[in-house]
Amino acid sequence: MTLDIRTIGAVLVLLILVGLPFGLGNYGYYILATIMIYSIVSLSFNVLIGMGGQISIGHAGFWALGAYASALSVVKLGFPFLLGVALGGIVAALFGALVALPALRVQGHYLAIATLGFALFIQQVLFEWEWLTGGRQGLFVPRPALFGVELQSDFSYYYVLLAMFLVLAWITGNFAKSHTGRSLMALRMSTIAAESCGIARARHIIIAFVMSAFFTGISGALYGHLLGHLSTETFSLAVSLSFLTMAVIGGLHSRAGALLGGAYLALAPEILRELKDAQMVIYGVTLILCVQFLPGGLISLVEKIGRAVWRTSDGAS
Amino acid sequence: MLPQLVVSGLALGSIYALLALSLVLINKATDVVNFAQGEMAMFGTFVCFALLTKVGLPLTVVLILAAPVGALLGMATERLTMVRLQAAPQVNALIATIGLWMIFHHAAGWIWGYDPVSFPSLFSPNPVDVLGARIAQNSLGIIAVSLLVVVLLYLLFEYTRTGIAMRAASMNRRAAQLMGVNVGRVSLVAWGLATAISVVAGFLIAPLTFLDFEMMFAVLLKAFAGAILGGFNSLPGAVVGCLVIGVIENLFAAYVSTAFKDTFAFGIIILVLMFRPQGLFTRRIAKKV
Repeated sequence: MTLDIRTIGAVLVLLILVGLPFGLGNYGYYILATIMIYSIVSLSFNVLIGMGGQISIGHAGFWALGAYASALSVVKLGFPFLLGVALGGIVAALFGALVALPALRVQGHYLAIATLGFALFIQQVLFEWEWLTGGRQGLFVPRPALFGVELQSDFSYYYVLLAMFLVLAWITGNFAKSHTGRSLMALRMSTIAAESCGIARARHIIIAFVMSAFFTGISGALYGHLLGHLSTETFSLAVSLSFLTMAVIGGLHSRAGALLGGAYLALAPEILRELKDAQMVIYGVTLILCVQFLPGGLISLVEKIGRAVWRTSDGAS
Repeated sequence: MLPQLVVSGLALGSIYALLALSLVLINKATDVVNFAQGEMAMFGTFVCFALLTKVGLPLTVVLILAAPVGALLGMATERLTMVRLQAAPQVNALIATIGLWMIFHHAAGWIWGYDPVSFPSLFSPNPVDVLGARIAQNSLGIIAVSLLVVVLLYLLFEYTRTGIAMRAASMNRRAAQLMGVNVGRVSLVAWGLATAISVVAGFLIAPLTFLDFEMMFAVLLKAFAGAILGGFNSLPGAVVGCLVIGVIENLFAAYVSTAFKDTFAFGIIILVLMFRPQGLFTRRIAKKV
């Protein structure tokens, strides 16, 4: 039987992900859970930037919408956890369509500017809408529960999140191979050429935004249940920028890259804790260096090393 | 009440206009929207403040130095970050400017602290009577300085070789290159010029809002709104758009809601993009293949 390097890589990654929590403590579980949550956001950027070539500096807005929609539906309407998470994704997706609506008329970077204003607007509305969202005091969110069983530990929640990531990664992979996904990539490479082949630009860009917002909303919903408490400060502009950074650094054209990006954003604050305020400066510097010298992200480096190892071992046998 | 609101709105608007001019300048010359423009303005203003307090230079000298400080900052940034990205997809350059945003924003907080400091004003606080309305001298001063910048820019683009080369490059980069225009230098000059203008804007707004590492964010958003309103490709359009935004903002804050006075700009952005994406003052430009 012939094995190709990609299958081996995928199986290895999966084994590592399943085995990771063993031997860690509660804090370790929590960090792993955040890695999965961030990785889902990274996936959403894979769709938006990697396939669509569109930028967003307002994903904290979608994240917030997902988190609040899910938390409120569970707390006030008594929705079960999974339904709440789905609702979080759907609410974010609706707003994704709204933000992308100007795509019908405009080209270029205008959408990025719109996302910037959007995130600010959402954060402010959530803050001012006190009777619903708790405003300044914030909102308590119950622990996640599956089929009536509450997941007390982040250990079990991690596996739920892992499963969620794998499902969404599978969807992303299939989307990339679908007609719509291919059209989106054609639009990124040359809008004019793609349009003259009959691809509707605006429709595809709106789809990219909707899908990206949906993923991010789900991630936000999952994050709310992990944190147990929501306040609007969690969804600042700095978060939007960190999301973009991790997605670029992990790699925008790869699902494994999304995982690396998530790990970067979850682990960097732990490693850089000594630096305190300078952390964001480091993010900025790594972002610029990455765009200039490693546009494929960390994953392209890993792939290069993996291929080299594979080739030498092939030659030896 | 109304005349005061309108004049101080125009003053605010002219600060937005300076930042919008910087955005449009870089966008026209290099096709990049520099999201870090506001933060670079803030950083440059902090450098000026350090010259004022740490070095002890007088305020007028620092005012004259503000533009060169900005120009140096802009050109150094362009050389370090943008040169390698000229051949890369546009989205990469955009991401790089977002990286710059993080660097300048947090470096300023890290170096100079997170507490707002008061910045000395160039103008006396006493209002003057203009046609029966009491107008703050500050507002008039801001409008005057902005006008001066606009006039200088006009002269640059109409009468100097560099200005004409920049106009050529913004119309058709490849053709300009074939005519012997050094496009790399145009990008350098655009970044220098834009950042010089935006540091002057920072200098003008700092006495109003206090000098703070977060002071430019709302300004940037409204400069975007104004530039989009005027059509992102037109320098005069951006100025007029920003003046409109400044006046609307003041009236909105006085008569409707102060809580949302910073976010209404977002509403304007969305509305303009939906109904008149080419802006109020420019004709739609079709892209040639």
